[in-house]
Amino acid sequence: MSKEIVKEVTPSSSAVAQAENRVFASLRGVQWRINLGILPPSSIDDLRRVTADSRRRYAGLRRQLLVDPHVPKDGARNAPDLVMDNPLSQNPDSTWSQFFRNAELEKMVNQDLSRLYPEHESYFQTPGCQGMLRRVLLLWCLRHPDCGYRQGMHELLAPLLYVLHIDVERLSEVRKLYEDQFIDKFDGFPFEENGGAYNFDFKKFSDSMEDEIGSQRNSKKVCSLYELDPEIQAIVLLSDAYGAEGELGIVLSEKFMEHDAYCMFDALMIGAHGSVAMADFFASSPAAESQSGLPPVIEASAALYHLLSIVDSSLHTHLVELGVEPQYFALRWLRVLFGREFSLQNLLVVWDEIFSEDNSPLNKVSEDADHFSFKLLSSRRGALIAAMAVSMILYLRSSLLATETATSCLQRLLNFPECVNLENRIERAKSLQILALESNKASLLSAFGGAYNCMKSPSSSHKISSDLGSPKPAPTPLPDSYWEEKWRVLHKAEELRQNSLGKHATSGKKSWSEKVKFGLLRTESAPSPARKEKCKKDNHSVRRNLLEDLSKKLGLEDDAVKGCCFEASNSDDHHSVEVQGEEQNCANKRSICTAENRCENGSGAVVSEENSSIFSDPSSPPGCGINDHENDTEKSSVTSNLSVDDNDDHRRRSPEDLPHQVPFPTEDVSRSPLHENESSGKTSSTKERRHLSGKFQWFRKFGQSNVSEKTSDKRGGNNEAAKPPIFDSKSSTSCTADSSAAGASCNSHPTSKGDTVDQNMMGTLKNLGQAMLDHIQVLESVFQQDQGQVGSLENLSKNNLVGKRQVTAVTALKELRKISNLLSEM
Amino acid sequence: MVLVLALGDLHIPHRAADLPPKFKSMLVPGKIQHIICTGNLCIKEVQDYLKTLCPDLHITRGEYDEETRYPETKMLTIGQFKLGLCHGHQVIPWGDLDSLAMLQRQLDVDILVTGHTHQFTAYKHEGGVVINPGSATGAYSSITYDVNPSFVLMDIDGLRVVVYVYELIDGEVKVDKIDFKKTATTTHSAH
Repeated sequence: MSKEIVKEVTPSSSAVAQAENRVFASLRGVQWRINLGILPPSSIDDLRRVTADSRRRYAGLRRQLLVDPHVPKDGARNAPDLVMDNPLSQNPDSTWSQFFRNAELEKMVNQDLSRLYPEHESYFQTPGCQGMLRRVLLLWCLRHPDCGYRQGMHELLAPLLYVLHIDVERLSEVRKLYEDQFIDKFDGFPFEENGGAYNFDFKKFSDSMEDEIGSQRNSKKVCSLYELDPEIQAIVLLSDAYGAEGELGIVLSEKFMEHDAYCMFDALMIGAHGSVAMADFFASSPAAESQSGLPPVIEASAALYHLLSIVDSSLHTHLVELGVEPQYFALRWLRVLFGREFSLQNLLVVWDEIFSEDNSPLNKVSEDADHFSFKLLSSRRGALIAAMAVSMILYLRSSLLATETATSCLQRLLNFPECVNLENRIERAKSLQILALESNKASLLSAFGGAYNCMKSPSSSHKISSDLGSPKPAPTPLPDSYWEEKWRVLHKAEELRQNSLGKHATSGKKSWSEKVKFGLLRTESAPSPARKEKCKKDNHSVRRNLLEDLSKKLGLEDDAVKGCCFEASNSDDHHSVEVQGEEQNCANKRSICTAENRCENGSGAVVSEENSSIFSDPSSPPGCGINDHENDTEKSSVTSNLSVDDNDDHRRRSPEDLPHQVPFPTEDVSRSPLHENESSGKTSSTKERRHLSGKFQWFRKFGQSNVSEKTSDKRGGNNEAAKPPIFDSKSSTSCTADSSAAGASCNSHPTSKGDTVDQNMMGTLKNLGQAMLDHIQVLESVFQQDQGQVGSLENLSKNNLVGKRQVTAVTALKELRKISNLLSEM
Repeated sequence: MVLVLALGDLHIPHRAADLPPKFKSMLVPGKIQHIICTGNLCIKEVQDYLKTLCPDLHITRGEYDEETRYPETKMLTIGQFKLGLCHGHQVIPWGDLDSLAMLQRQLDVDILVTGHTHQFTAYKHEGGVVINPGSATGAYSSITYDVNPSFVLMDIDGLRVVVYVYELIDGEVKVDKIDFKKTATTTHSAH
């Protein structure tokens, strides 16, 4: 059934229309029908014709949809297919199935109707009215099966029926006052009910007195139609049984109230191609062309808050801080168009205003991501609705600002006071309406996002992370914060993972970078749960591998083990670590990583010893490992940087040989994890990377500071005789330098957690590269001095490294340098 | 629009294991308002199953029923119709229309539902209807082995009842319909 929606003609288009509009001011039913677009604002005849058409349509719809299974369908009279059409048939097409479905729907509708407007039950609870409401709702829902019936639709329909009823009552009033106008006028002659057809009286003279008196009486009543008020005139003409379309065209008719109510309800719900369609507010899924991906009513509530933020930002922020989401109260306001907030009479006034506004969309809802416009605000009517809601919120301003809890705010909003000065509210709403329309044209995504960050956070965090994913080479000198570093590290790690997720599900050999990252990652707390779950197992296995490998390398063992459980304590930390894209496998790298990881896992006391021991065994495996770094991507370079850093630390601290493998400065690691653990809460897995490089620095710095204290003792126990003092001093100086820097950066890290700016990340990485370069230079100079007796180093006088270690140390140093170059290039 | 299911003579578990699956798929809870069962279920589990289809369940005692407390006959009023229920093994000759008509007059009902013969029959007789829904499981009877599973659904609407007969013939469900209108005033003059 196609619905003829007659386009609204603007009142200014014709004087007649304007006159008509004013004429119907007291006939709300007609006025609303014109405003909703059902009736054309033109001549009486047009009104009648359109009314008749819409009523016919409704009657047809009713016959079609209200199913009586006993009545065989036309055409099926001869051979009803009983197998399909029996009551127990499971066939969904059978009339009986349809019947049962309708019965279900009716049950739902009845539940709501029985509770409709209990304060006006004299009208609304009468069986006739209830029957009409029920039928209208049923038919509308059957006609629109995608919407179905939702609670609240009955409250939209009830006032519509009520105004029609009022119109009919007005008609009967007018009928009483102007009886003569309603006399049947077959041929245009007024036939009095009692008198004969011919007024001619045979008794001339004696009756003339009576005639005079009679005619006088008559003349009072019988006046021409056109001498009446335009309003009364309209009423008479509208209800003339002989006008256009006959009785079906009587616009104010009790008989056809149901039909008219259906038309009004349909127009209201569908919106007549306008912006505001009430049916949208009942939908639970986002509209197809929605920009925000939210259900329309949520979006409309956001529009409310958006307008409120423009008008009264302090109240807005207060409500947002309390956590009062707009849809908690706006859902009810919008779905029933304030039906529950005002008494029936007030509601009619409000709806008068709302319906008098045009509903056509003023500007196309733009598709840009930058320019987000609310569908609600893109028409005058929608803007007035939003403005009305905001003016209601503003009415409660003082009491809302005074509350400190969300529940009391909501209580005030949901129990809107009865005795409110409606004119004021409406005036305010009109002034805000202009504002709303303006704001909609220029609103930005940020404004919308501000109101809905929480709702959109998963998606937005993804978006942000993707933005920041590509590392920009713009260098910034300052390492802003520890957390930013971590974030960048994580982010790179996540990119890697996403890039190469498919490749290495089963391979136990993870890339060096991964392992290092895993080792470094500690406290990333806010990666998306999905990622967490995905990575858990991988992390475990990777960590194990890392640790094993590293330990083996360091201890010159074979790299074969896969099941170390080093990560027990820190497993949750590593969950945030994405499984890095498996890059080239470097057993050496892994070994170093595992050593690192082990460090992380180990206890502090063990660490200190192990530190020393590790220090003594720096070079060869790491060196070999580092050799492979050249080929890797920058990520691996970072990791190798990390490893090289380790080596750096190793070398610096103690050149002694370590017969066995020991975890590297677990103390550092344990400290930094602890540190990170404390300040965790923000990092997503995308911070892995930054975390990684940051950790290395931490390692170095902490380790140095730690080691300098502890290994000084242990050094005594080592083989190296000549080296320790020198290295001690060297390391101590560097340590002190580093530790002070570390301390500073350490302090700075907790403070600046919130930054996730890409530039910061880059800056930190660059910084790391720089720091590494410095350290490398220091080491190199040490070696050079050792080897070539070149006393270039400012701080120290040099002793020789043990020869072989020196070689390895130098190679490792070279690797470190390369890696740091790569890092600084990032 | 009241739907009343009439069935009986299931003989579960002695002569049949269960209702045919096609019947079972049709009998879903929520559609039927009353169930009248002629008897010979025979065990309580069948009664429980029928109760899940509809809470309003009326059963009369058949000779093999293990529940001894079912009544021999039952009378109920649904809409404008009076229904009578009996198993039928008490009425001899079994399945004889005249004898059943005697029972109908005795109970003073418009619709009499009996079973025991395991054959579906429906007679319009003296302003009333005598219905035998047959055996819902197709269990053999003492008369014959060749039994088609069948049951009856009555749609009572004012003064009109439509009787739908569901039979399982060769594995397919066949449905038939019988209309019956009650005359507005049927007074059995009791003398």
